[in-house]
Amino acid sequence: MPATHEQRAADAMTDRIDLPQGTLDLLILKSLSLGAQHGWAISERIRQVTGAALEVPQGSLYPALHRLERRGWIRASWGTSDNNRKAKYYQLTRVGTKQFAAGTAAWAKLTEAVQHVLRMA
Amino acid sequence: MLADLRYRLRALFRRAAVERELDAELRFHIEREMEKHVRSGLTWAEAEVRARREFGGHDVIREQARDARGVGWVDSVVSDVRYAWRSLRTRPAFAVGVVLTLGLGTGANAAMFGIVDRLLFRAPAYLWDAERVHRFYGTYLWNGALLTERSYEYRRYQDLQRSATAFDALAVAETRQVAVGSGEAMREMTVMIASASMFGMFDVRPVLGRFFTEAEDGLPVGESVVVLSHAYWQSTFGGRADALGQSISVGDGVYTVVGVAPAGFIGFSETEVPALFVPVTTFAWHTAPDFADHYGWSWLEIFMRRRPDVSVAAANADITRAYAQSWERQRDGATNFPTAADAAVRAEAGPVLLGRGPMAGPEAKVIAWVMGVAVIVLLVACANVVNLLLARSVTRRREVALRLALGVSRYRLVQQLMTETMLLAVLGGMVGLAAAQWGGRTVRSLFLQDDSLGAVAGDMRTLLFTAAITLLLALMTGLAPALQALRADVAGTLKAGGRDTGYRASALRSGLLLLQGVLSVVLLVGAGLFVRSLHNVRSLRLGYDIDPVVLVNATLRGVELDRAGAFALMDRVLEAAQAVPGVRLATPVVSVPFWSNEGRGPPHVPGRDSLARLGRFILQAGTPDYFDALGTRILQGRGFTSADRADAPPVTVVSQAMADALWPGMNAVGRQMRIGNDTMPFLTVVGVAEPMRGLRLENEAEYWYFLPLEQYRKLFRAPHGRLLVRVNGRAQDFVEALRARLQQEMPGSSYVTVMPLRTLVVPEQRAWQFGATMFLAFAVLALVLAAIGLYSVVAYAVAARTRELGVRIALGASLVAVARQVIGQGVYFAVAGIVLGGAIALAAARWVEPLLFDTPARDPLVFAVVTGILLVVALLATVRPALRATRVDPTVALRTE
Repeated sequence: MPATHEQRAADAMTDRIDLPQGTLDLLILKSLSLGAQHGWAISERIRQVTGAALEVPQGSLYPALHRLERRGWIRASWGTSDNNRKAKYYQLTRVGTKQFAAGTAAWAKLTEAVQHVLRMA
Repeated sequence: MLADLRYRLRALFRRAAVERELDAELRFHIEREMEKHVRSGLTWAEAEVRARREFGGHDVIREQARDARGVGWVDSVVSDVRYAWRSLRTRPAFAVGVVLTLGLGTGANAAMFGIVDRLLFRAPAYLWDAERVHRFYGTYLWNGALLTERSYEYRRYQDLQRSATAFDALAVAETRQVAVGSGEAMREMTVMIASASMFGMFDVRPVLGRFFTEAEDGLPVGESVVVLSHAYWQSTFGGRADALGQSISVGDGVYTVVGVAPAGFIGFSETEVPALFVPVTTFAWHTAPDFADHYGWSWLEIFMRRRPDVSVAAANADITRAYAQSWERQRDGATNFPTAADAAVRAEAGPVLLGRGPMAGPEAKVIAWVMGVAVIVLLVACANVVNLLLARSVTRRREVALRLALGVSRYRLVQQLMTETMLLAVLGGMVGLAAAQWGGRTVRSLFLQDDSLGAVAGDMRTLLFTAAITLLLALMTGLAPALQALRADVAGTLKAGGRDTGYRASALRSGLLLLQGVLSVVLLVGAGLFVRSLHNVRSLRLGYDIDPVVLVNATLRGVELDRAGAFALMDRVLEAAQAVPGVRLATPVVSVPFWSNEGRGPPHVPGRDSLARLGRFILQAGTPDYFDALGTRILQGRGFTSADRADAPPVTVVSQAMADALWPGMNAVGRQMRIGNDTMPFLTVVGVAEPMRGLRLENEAEYWYFLPLEQYRKLFRAPHGRLLVRVNGRAQDFVEALRARLQQEMPGSSYVTVMPLRTLVVPEQRAWQFGATMFLAFAVLALVLAAIGLYSVVAYAVAARTRELGVRIALGASLVAVARQVIGQGVYFAVAGIVLGGAIALAAARWVEPLLFDTPARDPLVFAVVTGILLVVALLATVRPALRATRVDPTVALRTE
């Protein structure tokens, strides 16, 4: 069975999900550090801030949110959105806040180290 | 951690709600996205298409979210189980075959495990800190023979209590059949006679009232108090609380109920379930008021709890020292009694379980062997199932290759195959438990008196054992097919299309088949040997007839009779018995084979000494009818006559073994011997009877001598209360008639118990009965499984080689040659199995022989019969496939190309 056009397109799409491990988590935590948000708002915020540089496939946000919830870093509750509809809001837990700080520091260290290496080369 | 668990549990058990929430969440997202696009100028339709495309596949997201929630594997297991169930249902014959095979194998093991566990591994119920509790065994040299005993005197128990320091508690216990109740409601029941300290060794509280105390178990006589077992409380008092304070007749006493033990508490008993518990000093005093003053009554088993800071070795040293001191106290300076050092006195703090101790009977060994046999059956079942699964995986090769080509990971595929075998094993395990529950009852009744002792269902240990076997089976049987799937050649298989890629004899399958054949032969040989043993033990001439003989035991209770009165009573009972219709002959006796034998030490024979070293001497007495009543043949001289009165010259008849031992190479008739000290008269031997057995069936020298009853009464002046009665017909048909008639003769609350003599002999044959039954059952099971295995392999080979056979027939091969080739395959396996299995059986002969009764472990007849059976079974298993092979139509076979 030859690979169809659609299949290749799907492959391309999955390529884009391939953010560095844990990056998406960090972006989510960053968005939530400013206050409770629902999924779409998180996705919009990431899009606005990163612009075209880093496109996050919208769908992959939700598995990540559920994973973070299971770990206890964020907490979910149903609330009412600005246009008066029911929406699921996420907020950082105390563990999540700590993890965000640790993750930010680690990321900074990593990028610094990588840049250092790249500059040397 | 806890939050994680709560989250997963919610995800698992409220999955519908969780999924609904996710859908709502995703829908909200899409709608907001659409609103955004509409605001920037798209139509609603365009906005939806764009939003959905940018969002990605709903199902994929949902799946990923499920994985993120940590319950994805549950879904895959559930779907695997469903898939396995569907694929099994498409081939019900295969599934039923595998489940039954595994079920029988598991069932055999579960049933055996319950018994082995109870007799060899499991500590008595409720026993506190079981590793520290020991049974007392004493060993000493007596007349040149090293004897080990576990029944001791109350006095000995006191001695050990006083001198032993390594133990924080000692107790005595013994179970006896005792008359309980009075009048028509009187029954013989198992009563545990125990010291009050026994209860302290168990982590047990009475469900009602209390246990008896040390004060109630004191000397010289304890209080008449009794503790009921839970079952007796339920059956006799309906579980009512007012049972406390009631009176029950037990043996010679009347006891007051003070408490009820919890269900399942049987003290230190192993195979018997006591109905009542009474204080040892009370019970003993009723039998012999001076029981604590001498060393003449060995009847109690001693139990000891080692102090936590003392090792077993130190405890053994301590108890040996205490036993030696007790021995010296018993000797009390007597010169004709060996010193503790001369007698090499030694004691052991042995295991509580008899089967593990130094005096384990043949049952313990046979049962361990049968457990091994059950494991072999399981192996055969396992080999069979692997074979069936392999055959199936060959036909499934295309399916596997197709799924691999479609991108199913090999890991998932193996997981799926293992799920299938797991499902089969679990179903098999359930069938096995059912089989064990149902068939195990028969098995248990061979060994345990009370069925409730060995119930399978509800017994946690048996259930765990079965679960472990099931898991092991799943792994063992699932491995080979899974490995084969991993090796699958995708391209090759798919290229071959719908055709089979040709028949290849698998070395693994042949090996498994051979293994089954070998194991079946080994089991069949074992079964044959045990059946022969059982036959030999049953046809063993004991020196008397068993089937037409009834034992009558009269017990005096609540009446005081002097000797003359007791003798007169027995004469009346004898007369009454002789008058019962159907009774041919009856005689009072003093010894009853395998029950109670009177020993008065070795006789004194002029010119001979150290006769005790020869073996056990047993004294029997009877009327002139004795030898005819028991069917004992007189080989030389004469039996007793009415002339052998009390005042006539004292005479005796000796068994042939005794005659040969005392007067080797000489005619015993006319010789003289004396029983007891030199104030006793010499007895003249007037006859020699056939060899006798009444202690053990296995070879051990037993020397019997017989005295006329009247002379016995005069010489020993001992009361006796037993009759042996010969009837016309079957003994059990006369039990009730004799009991009813003779009970009328008994004064006061005295009573008679009546039983066929056979009931005393049967327990002695139990080891061989059990071995023969179980070996035979398991061997037949293994053989049937092996036959099914052979049939399936040969039938598969024929089916797979249809084309080849078609070609050969087309080329002119005769049908006989074709059939011969197929059957030859079966015979080949049978012969290989016989040769290898036979070799193993011959090699193992050394270890089996001690378990057999008078049967050589290399009995040629057994080997010949087994060879025949295996060949016949191999023929039967291959004849159908052979017929099918001859019916292959060449044109059809070739056209399928």
